[in-house]
Amino acid sequence: MIEVIKPGLETSVQDWPGRIGFWNQGFPPSGPMDSWSFRLANVLVGNAPGAAGLECQYLGPTLRFDADAVIAVTGADMAPKLDGVAVPLWESVAVRAGQTLALGPAKLGTRAYIAFSGGIASEPWLGSRSTFHQAGVGGIGGSALKAGHQIPLGAGTGVAGRRVKPEARPPIHGDKRWDVEVCAGPNDDWIDAAGQERFLSADWKLSGKSNRTGFRLEGPEWTFAEKAYNKGPEHGSLPSNIIDHGYPLGAINLAGQTPIILVSDGPSMGGFINPYTVPQAAFWKLGQSRPGDIYHFRLVSVERAQAMAREMKALCTEASII
Amino acid sequence: MATEVRTMTAGNMWKVLVQPGDAVTEGQTLFIMEVMKMEVAHESPAAGTVTAVHVAEGAEGLDADQLVVEIG
Repeated sequence: MIEVIKPGLETSVQDWPGRIGFWNQGFPPSGPMDSWSFRLANVLVGNAPGAAGLECQYLGPTLRFDADAVIAVTGADMAPKLDGVAVPLWESVAVRAGQTLALGPAKLGTRAYIAFSGGIASEPWLGSRSTFHQAGVGGIGGSALKAGHQIPLGAGTGVAGRRVKPEARPPIHGDKRWDVEVCAGPNDDWIDAAGQERFLSADWKLSGKSNRTGFRLEGPEWTFAEKAYNKGPEHGSLPSNIIDHGYPLGAINLAGQTPIILVSDGPSMGGFINPYTVPQAAFWKLGQSRPGDIYHFRLVSVERAQAMAREMKALCTEASII
Repeated sequence: MATEVRTMTAGNMWKVLVQPGDAVTEGQTLFIMEVMKMEVAHESPAAGTVTAVHVAEGAEGLDADQLVVEIG
């Protein structure tokens, strides 16, 4: 068991790939924003890559262990300390009963992940332990961590001193510019040629009004193709309105003139167009960026996006451990 | 004794509630950051007088541990 002393800004239990199979009933997958760092943390402590761990956002938690454990911290650098002694990132570490792990503000990157050998043994809901706090389900009591929460751990076989090869880690950086892959569609044909060119060449700034539901972007005005104006009344009056339809995960959803990337806790349907989609293998870049950072979008094929996901999956294995 | 109040997180500066010369009490909210659509209030750890404010309201892309308010 672990006791939450300080919860951090919005720390939550997540597993990967999350709550799959209920999108058609409005339930998003949830799961870690940076599943690359998350999965490697689990591999380090001997877990299946998708076992439940903690996602720490911007400001990490303080946790007290009441039993021995092996843990790993990956992703953003929140300068973790165990009883005041610095804990290396990307390495499995032994914790003794009674010790306290404290994470601070993210100095590089935005989201850190803590895996525990044996995984978090909270009660699953619809097949997943991932927290979806807007519906009050998953995790510990359906919410982000709160002071006083007790986090149950499973029995593990983790070993300390294992590290992730540097070349297998996501290249988290602090230069505030991110090259983010997108696939065209499903509604790119509602944007005119100039608008498509503008989308792919412009700088898009990440707004502070961004969370695990949506990443709001600020940038140039959008211009639309003829079909966005010349359409049946059931679609709605704005050029970005379309008759209600399902949204893909990662959709760049255009509400009027405001693009919002719909991410892990996002909505499954609505009445706005989705001109482009960020593939899941690029989500780690979203998860490690912060307000004011600039995205530049680069078009890739669906086949390339699928290959990226396979490449990432191959990296999140024992082959990346030394 | 001078007191420095620094950002607890990366994010944007939503509101700056004090200016140089203001008298503040311990626990008074000095500024509020916005991150993940949440307001993160930063309070004064001590009573005193604001001697400097280094970040303007609306500033974007701040890092954690950035100096915002000095109290004398």
